[in-house]
Amino acid sequence: MQRVGFRLGSSLAFRVIVSTVLLSLSVVWLTGSALNNQLSKGVKQVNLDSAIIEARSTFFNTQYRLALAQGLPESDVRRVIIDVITSATSIGRSENARQIAFLETPGQTDAKFNYEIKSEFLKVDSVPKNFKIKVRKSSDIKWIYSSFAYPGNVSTPVIILADKVEVPNAGQYEMYFFISLANQNKTLELIRSSLLLTGFALVLLIGLITWLVVRQVVRPVREAARIATEFTSGDFRQRMDVHTRDEISTLGNAFNEMAESLEKQIARLENLSRVQQRFVSDVSHELRTPLTTLRMASEIIHGARQSFDPNVSRSAELLVAQLDRFERLLEDLLEVSRFDAEVAVLEGVDFDIVSLAKRCIEDLTLVAAENSTSMLLIVSDETIMLNADIRRVERILRNLLTNAIDHADGKPIEVTIAHTEHDVAVGVRDYGIGIEPHLLSRVFDRFWRADPSRARVRGGTGLGLSIALEDARLHNGELEAWGRPKYGAHFVLTLPRREGSSIEARLITLKPTT
Amino acid sequence: MTLVMVVDDDQDLAEMLSIVLNGAGIDVDLVGRGDEVLEVFRNNPPDLVLLDVMLPGIDGIEVCKLIRAESMVPIIMLTAKGDTHDVVLGFEAGADDYMAKPFRHPSELIARIKTRLRRTNSDIAGLLAISDLSIDVQAHHVLRGNKVISLTRLEFDLLVALAKEPGRVFTRDALLSEVWGYRHSTDTRLVNVHVQRLRSKIEHDPENPEIVVTVRGVGYKAGALVHS
Repeated sequence: MQRVGFRLGSSLAFRVIVSTVLLSLSVVWLTGSALNNQLSKGVKQVNLDSAIIEARSTFFNTQYRLALAQGLPESDVRRVIIDVITSATSIGRSENARQIAFLETPGQTDAKFNYEIKSEFLKVDSVPKNFKIKVRKSSDIKWIYSSFAYPGNVSTPVIILADKVEVPNAGQYEMYFFISLANQNKTLELIRSSLLLTGFALVLLIGLITWLVVRQVVRPVREAARIATEFTSGDFRQRMDVHTRDEISTLGNAFNEMAESLEKQIARLENLSRVQQRFVSDVSHELRTPLTTLRMASEIIHGARQSFDPNVSRSAELLVAQLDRFERLLEDLLEVSRFDAEVAVLEGVDFDIVSLAKRCIEDLTLVAAENSTSMLLIVSDETIMLNADIRRVERILRNLLTNAIDHADGKPIEVTIAHTEHDVAVGVRDYGIGIEPHLLSRVFDRFWRADPSRARVRGGTGLGLSIALEDARLHNGELEAWGRPKYGAHFVLTLPRREGSSIEARLITLKPTT
Repeated sequence: MTLVMVVDDDQDLAEMLSIVLNGAGIDVDLVGRGDEVLEVFRNNPPDLVLLDVMLPGIDGIEVCKLIRAESMVPIIMLTAKGDTHDVVLGFEAGADDYMAKPFRHPSELIARIKTRLRRTNSDIAGLLAISDLSIDVQAHHVLRGNKVISLTRLEFDLLVALAKEPGRVFTRDALLSEVWGYRHSTDTRLVNVHVQRLRSKIEHDPENPEIVVTVRGVGYKAGALVHS
């Protein structure tokens, strides 16, 4: 039942066929039963008419013969009655045989003889009582449908016709004429069964025709659905076959036009992305070459600054420092535009994240010292291997560390590394100036500053955390931030240890307990 | 005097490069177009080629293939940093090393060039053996039986580094510092690509290497000696 319900819901063809069959079934049922009624009514009428005619002639014949026997002795009258009844019941055989009951109307006192007689199978109760009363009251032939059990046979429907007969010297008698309707019922049965069979065949045929028709309509729809699925999975070359010039072909043409335009749109977008990528690559090349020249020139000038007067010497230092900054900014901007163009790719390698963290901390020790802070590494294991893009992971760590150094306010920074079989997490916690909770969601925004009046200590680009977040997400990882003013901030990076899988659990609680 | 061919279409950068290289006592041959490289190269073979990727005429990758087809000279590509595609293409074309523009310090470039030019391990005299190969370090030859196998200088250095310490497992970082002279670099692709190239020349079956053996999760080591 559930399956049928499912198919009704899922298959248009099934639904159409089922409803068509149900509808035609009711129509066939209605017309069939009307036809059946009409036919059986006709057949019954014909039978009744002939039964009445036959009965009338029998009754008339009896009355006539009895009238002729007026004045004859009792035995002659009895012979006439037996004769009449025998000849009337000899028509038809076995179940079609006529039966006659010749009964005296009760309540007569002047009867000299009793001529009551019954055919052999008839019993006293074969004639319904109220019918007898009706007959007595009527002056014409009466009839009733009833049933009668022949010996060895179940009850057979009969029609009983009756009339009154005057018997000489014996008063009024009633004559009941039984005609079996077995044959009539057989005919009616035949009509009903052939109607049923025809109706059934008709419904079956209608179902078949519907199925054929629906298939013609549904097949292109299914085809369209299949092609749409192919589209979803990225194959844009699929088209519908259009052979005819009907509504289905309109659907096919419209579908194909949609496919065409979709393919063009996607190609256009892909082209745009390629153009963007090309532009990024061109810009990077065009800017890098002069920057390389500049850097080398500035290094040579910087290397010789001892021989300059103090102002020129300081200028050389500033030149080198600002070129550094310019280069970092350029790199970050290019990286951001790569993320925007979605052309950033992962280059996974196996590496130990503990030694990477150690190296990052080592590299930034001097910077930390300049800000009178220090970094402490807390690890559960000496080596934690990871398959990821080491360049990006290193960039995330450096960004988190420099951010912490910038905001540590001279207090020590804690770097925690935790891991499970599946994930690895790095937490960078500072106890510095912290951040208002409602501003936390903005720390990853590009060029965003918590306090615009605060200068960037490290000459950061303002893109570090935003790039770090993109880098983490590129690995299916997560980078989250917590902060409270004066309590410091906590950044937690969680990465899957295998490239391509997703993180299962947060290994470091973002909100510190202390 | 050492001669380095600098192939770059940016005249200012080329001039700057020659100033820096001259300062380090290196002669420079400047070429501005990709399609002029081969002619200059044949007329005056340099000790090393510094090759930009984007060039008018023929691009740097193609130039690299052309040079490699006729010489084992060390080639250092100049690429835009982060253009990993170019880097990989460069290695596949036969480049030994790359410098990402803009480089932090001119001294870094000089150091790289000197590492590539250094007479390999001249302190090791005589023959080294690895698997069924024998290496004549002085003569710069690798022999299998009587057959000389021709390797680029970098591939030779890589093989010698492994062969001179047969028991040691080299991490990729260790090889980067020994062979390429990097103090610390995270670009281990450099090692992977060149190990593949080396294997394709010396292994009987590069799919199942027996001379440069991979130690999973760590790095590489020399295969066991085979006495023929």
